[in-house]
Amino acid sequence: MRRRELLIGSLAAVGLLAGACGGGTSSNNTTQKTVGGVLTIDNESGALWQCDFNPYNGSVNGQSFGVLYEPLVYDNLLNDKKTPWLASAYEWSSDSKTLTFTIRSGVTWSDGQPFNAADVVFSFALLSQHPEADLQSDWAVLQSVIQQGEDKVVFTFKQAAVPNFYQIAGQTAIVPKHIWSTVKDPASEVVRNPVGTGPFTMGACTGQNITYKRNPNYWQKGLPYLDTVNYPAFLDNDPANAFLASGQAQYGGQFIPNIDSYYVAKDPQNNHYWFPPINNINVWFNLKKAPFDNKALRQAIAYSINRDDVSKKGEFGYEPPGNQTGVLSPTFDSWIDKAQADKYGYKFDPGKAASLLQGAGYTKGGDGIYKDASGKRLSFSIINIAGYTDWVASVQVIQDNLKQVGIELKPQNLESTAYFDKLFTGNFELAYGSVNTSPGPNPYYELRNTLDSRTTAALGQTAAGNYGRYQNPAVDALFDQFGATTDSAKQHDLIKQVEAAMLEDVPVIPATEGVAWYQYSTKDFAGWPTKDDPFSAPAPWNLPDWEVTLLHVYKKS
Amino acid sequence: MAVRVVTDPGPLETPVVTSRRGIAGTVGRGLSRNRKAMAGLGLFGFFLVVAILAPVVAPYDPQSLQFDQMLQPSRAHLLGTTGTGQDIFSQLVFGTRESLLIAVAAGLGATLISVIVGVSAAYLGGFSDHVLNLFTDVFLVLPTLPLMIIVGTYLNNRGLAVLIGVIVITGWSYGARQLRSQALSLRNREFLEAARARGERSLYIIVFEVLPNMTSLIVAIFFGAALYAVLAAAGLQFIGLGDPNSLSWGTMLYWAQANGALLAGSPVWVLAPGLCIAALGAAFALINYAFDEIGNPALRPVKRRQ
Amino acid sequence: MSYLVRRLEFFFITLWAALTINFILPRIMPGNPAQAMIVRFRGRVSPETVKAIEVAFGLHSNENIFQQYLEYLRNTFTGNFGTSVTFFPVPVGDVIRQGLPWTLGLVGMATIIAFILGTLLGMLSAWRRGGFFDAVMPPVFIVISAFPYFWLGLLVLLAFALTLNWFPLGFAYDLTSSINLSWDFVGQVIWHGTLPALTIVITSIGGWILTMRNTMITTLAEDYVKMARAKGLSPVRIMFMYAGRNAILPNLVGFAMSLGFVISGAILVEIVFNYPGLGFTLLQAVHSEDYALMQTLFLMLTVAVLVAVLAADLLTAVLDPRTREHG
Repeated sequence: MRRRELLIGSLAAVGLLAGACGGGTSSNNTTQKTVGGVLTIDNESGALWQCDFNPYNGSVNGQSFGVLYEPLVYDNLLNDKKTPWLASAYEWSSDSKTLTFTIRSGVTWSDGQPFNAADVVFSFALLSQHPEADLQSDWAVLQSVIQQGEDKVVFTFKQAAVPNFYQIAGQTAIVPKHIWSTVKDPASEVVRNPVGTGPFTMGACTGQNITYKRNPNYWQKGLPYLDTVNYPAFLDNDPANAFLASGQAQYGGQFIPNIDSYYVAKDPQNNHYWFPPINNINVWFNLKKAPFDNKALRQAIAYSINRDDVSKKGEFGYEPPGNQTGVLSPTFDSWIDKAQADKYGYKFDPGKAASLLQGAGYTKGGDGIYKDASGKRLSFSIINIAGYTDWVASVQVIQDNLKQVGIELKPQNLESTAYFDKLFTGNFELAYGSVNTSPGPNPYYELRNTLDSRTTAALGQTAAGNYGRYQNPAVDALFDQFGATTDSAKQHDLIKQVEAAMLEDVPVIPATEGVAWYQYSTKDFAGWPTKDDPFSAPAPWNLPDWEVTLLHVYKKS
Repeated sequence: MAVRVVTDPGPLETPVVTSRRGIAGTVGRGLSRNRKAMAGLGLFGFFLVVAILAPVVAPYDPQSLQFDQMLQPSRAHLLGTTGTGQDIFSQLVFGTRESLLIAVAAGLGATLISVIVGVSAAYLGGFSDHVLNLFTDVFLVLPTLPLMIIVGTYLNNRGLAVLIGVIVITGWSYGARQLRSQALSLRNREFLEAARARGERSLYIIVFEVLPNMTSLIVAIFFGAALYAVLAAAGLQFIGLGDPNSLSWGTMLYWAQANGALLAGSPVWVLAPGLCIAALGAAFALINYAFDEIGNPALRPVKRRQ
Repeated sequence: MSYLVRRLEFFFITLWAALTINFILPRIMPGNPAQAMIVRFRGRVSPETVKAIEVAFGLHSNENIFQQYLEYLRNTFTGNFGTSVTFFPVPVGDVIRQGLPWTLGLVGMATIIAFILGTLLGMLSAWRRGGFFDAVMPPVFIVISAFPYFWLGLLVLLAFALTLNWFPLGFAYDLTSSINLSWDFVGQVIWHGTLPALTIVITSIGGWILTMRNTMITTLAEDYVKMARAKGLSPVRIMFMYAGRNAILPNLVGFAMSLGFVISGAILVEIVFNYPGLGFTLLQAVHSEDYALMQTLFLMLTVAVLVAVLAADLLTAVLDPRTREHG
C-alpha cells in the first residue's frame, strides 16, 4: 500500500476552441484529429465502484466532477491560469466583494434541457441549504448568489475574498435545477443516472468498471475526440500498476515504485511520466508543547534533515526536496524570494544544528543524544500514516538524519483515522504529513491553511488546518490583505513576507513536495499534458482538471 | 494460510509414562525414530541458531540506510538491497528473531489456553464441560483473519504484544478440542483410579498424572499453534496491519510488495522472506504431523495390532 | 433426537456470540468517522460543515449502550444493516450484495474442488499403504500447506499471468463486459477465476489429503473391513462403500468448520488478484471505521460458516447411524 493524493478539484483550464489547447501552442491542429478511440484510466481507488455519480458527495465525486459535471471557470492548479467555462466572462467589483459572472449560452444538459443562469443560482442555493454538501465551504465566505437579468449571476461576499474564486468558480459543480429540485438530501443522494453539461455521459457502470461515452451535444463543438473512456476499479496498487505496465490502460495516476524499470522499460518509446509538485509534505511541530515552542530548537531541526536524501530514499526521487519557504518549486518558482531564503541556507548542516542546540542550552549526553538543563533528552515521537509506505520510509530517513545530529525520533505508525484524529486535535509531538486541504493554484492556499490561526482550533478540538497551532497575528494580517487584492505584484510581495515568517519561525519543515502522479502512453494517443505544455494538472484524480486532459487527448490515426 | 481441518481425533494411543524413562525420554524416543520429526526439528534448530547468532551471521546493520537502493544480488549484497537502501540478507537474518519470537510466544500462549480449557472441560464435566465446549466451538468457527484484522486495528497499537495476543485469542480453540477428547479418554484409566483411591486431590491428579500422559499431544498442539502463528502473523503483516518499522519476515514482504519488487525486477526481495516463512512453517508442520504418527501407531509405517 | 438438539443449540449460541462480539468490538475504536470523511473531502471544510456531517451520519447518538444493542439486534433481524460510511451513502446491504456472490463463488468452488480431490487422493494413499505415493506424498503436502497463501498467489500471478500471459491479471470478468448469463460471460468468469481458485486449492488440499488418509487408515484397521475382505468383496467396493464412506463422515463436519479458515484466505486472494469480493471490502471498512459495514460483513461470514456446519451436522446425522445411537 502506498500513498496517493485524493484531490478534489483543480480547476480545468481549457481552450474554448477545439484547436487551442491551454495556453501552449505546441499541440494544435496541424494534424487532423479524428473522433474515436477507447481510453482506459488507471487510478487505484481501493474499492469497487458504487455507481453513485453525486458531485456533492466527497467520496464519489472523483467519478463525476469534471467529466460529467462542470464548474463555472477552469482554474489550472499548476499556474492559476483561468479559462471561462460554463461562465463566459466574470468581473470583480473594485472592492473585491462582488463577483459577477456572465453565463454561457448555447449549453445543454445531457438530457436535452437548456442550461441557464437559473441552474447556477439553484446549485449554490442548494449548497447554502445543505452545508454537508458544500464541500468547498463556499458559504463560509458568501453572502448571496442572485440572478441578474437573463444571463448574469452576482455573488456577494461577506468580506473581500479574492482567493475563494478558486473554490467557487473552479471547484463547485453546477447541477441541473430541473432534476435536483426534487432531491431531499443532496449530500447523500445516490445518483445513478447523472445529467450534466460535461463532455461525457455515463454509459454503463458495474462494480468493476465505469464506461463514459462521448456526449455528442457537448457545448464545445467538435470535442471531445475520445469516443469511450473506461475507468476500472482497482482494489490495490499492484493490480493497477500491472495493468498500466502491460499497456491495458493508458492514462495513469499511480505511485509506481521503480517506475523506470517497472513501467518505462516495458515500452521506452511510449511510456512516459511527469510528476509536477502540488503540495508540501511537512514535519509539523506541536507549537503548544514544550520544547517545540523554542525557536532555536526548531531551526536546529531544520538544519538536521537531509531533504535530498529523504526525497531520494523515501520517495525514489519522485518528489523533489522541500524548501523552507513552503512555496513549491518549480511549480511556483516565481513566488519565491530566493535571496531571502539563501540568507538562512537551510540544508543538512549538522555543524550549524549543533551550534544552535548548544546556544539554546542543550548538551550532548553520553548516548549521543542532546539533553536540556534538567536532563531531559531530546527524544520525540512523530505520528505517521502506516499505510503510506513512502511516508514511513521518509520518516525512517529523517530519523536516521536526526540521530546523526543527536536527536532521537520515535516513529508512531498509525491507522489513518487514528492518525487524523491525533493530528486534528493536536494530540502529538511531531507529525509527518501534508495539510489535509485541497492545494490551490498559487501558494496562498496552502500557506494559509498551514499558518493562519483562524483555521486552527484549541487543543483537543478538531482543527481544519494549522495543526501545530501557530499563532502569528502579523502573518494572519498578510493573508487578509492577500484576500482583498487582485493586484498580482502586491500578492507576490505579501507571499514573500509570509516566506520570511516560515524561514525565521520554522513552524513546519517542508521535507518533500507531494506530486501529481501521472503516467501516459503515447502509443495510440496524443494530446497529453506534459512538462512543456502544462495545460492542466495532469493526474486523473485532479478534479476537474482530468476533464480538460480528456478533452485534449485524441487517438492517433 | 494452510487450512486446518477440524476433526475429532479418534482414540489416541499414547504410551503410558513409566517412571523409568520419564516424559522427555518417551517423547524423545518416539521422535528420534521418525524421519519427518527429525527433519522438522533440524529446520527449527537451524533457524534458532541463526536467530541467536544474528549479529555474527549478518554482514551489515539491517536498519542502515547507507547503501544504494534496489540493487541486484551481488557479492557485497547476497540478496540485494531494499527500496530504501538496506541490505536484504541482513534483514532476513535479523528478521528470524522476531519471526521465531512470534511463533514460539504465540504458540505457547495458545497452547496454554488450550490445555486449561480442554482439560478443565474434560474434568469438570457436566454443565461446565458443556459451556466450555460451546465456548471452544464458537471460537473455532469464527473466521479468524477478519477477527484478527478487526481486533488488531481497534487496539490501534501495532506492537508485537498486540500481534501475539490477537493470534493467541484466535488460535487456541483448535487444540482445546483435541485435548478435551484425549483427557476424556484418559479419565477412566486404571492408574487414575488408583490415584483416586489413594485419596489424591483432583488438581494433583490432573497435573501430575494426566498431563504427563498427554505430553506428546500437548507438544504436537504447540507446534500446530506455532504453525498457525507463523502464517497468521505473516498474513497480517503483509496486509499492512503490523508495524512497518519492525523487522520480521512478514514486514519484509510488506515492503517488498509496496515497492513492487516482484514486477520491477527484484523478485528476490519477495522470494527470500516468503521462502523462510514457508520453511519455518514446514518445520512446525512436519513435527506436528510426526506427533500424529507417534500418537496413532496405525499411521506409522509399521502397523500395530490392537 | 438429542444429537440434533445439541447441534442446534451450538448453532444458536454461536450465532448469538458472533452478534454480540460484533456489537462490542467496534465500539472500542478511537477516533471519529466524520474525520475519515474530512480526509476524503480534502476541501476547506468549515466547522459547520463538519458538524453537519456528524449529524447526518448519526454519530452522536443519545441512546445508552443497551438501547443501542437492542436496536442493533432488531435491525439485524429485519435486514436493516445501516448506511456505509466508506461508501456513503450506499446502504450496507447493497455493498455486500455486490461482492458476496464473488467471494462465495470463488471460495465455495475452490474449497469443494479441494475437498473432493483431497479426499480421493487421501483415500487412494491410504489404500496403497507403503506404496511410492504414500511415502512421498505426506511430507510434500505438509510442506506445501505451510506456504503463506498470498506468497503463493503472487508467484502464481507472476508465472502464469505476467510471464506466460496465459491468464488475466485480475478482476472477475473482462472489464467491458456486464453481468449476463451468456456462455461467453461464464467462460470469462472461469478464465479469470482460474488462478485465484488454483491458489486456494493448492494451499488447502494438503490438509484434506492428510486428514482423509489418517482417518482412512484407522478405518481400514476396523473389524468390519477385515470381514469384508474375508468375504472376498472387490477392493474398489471396500474402499468406497465400506471404508471410504465411514472415513469421510467425521471429515464432513471438519470440512464445514474449516470454512472459516478458507474465508480468511479469501481476503488475501482478493487483494492479490483484485477480485471484486468481500475480502477487501472488509479491510477497507476497518480502515474507515465503518461500523455498520464491518459488523455486517463479519456476521455474514460467520453465518455462512455456521450454516455449513449445521448442514454438515444434519448430513452426518442422516448418513451415520452411530451418531444417533450416541445421541
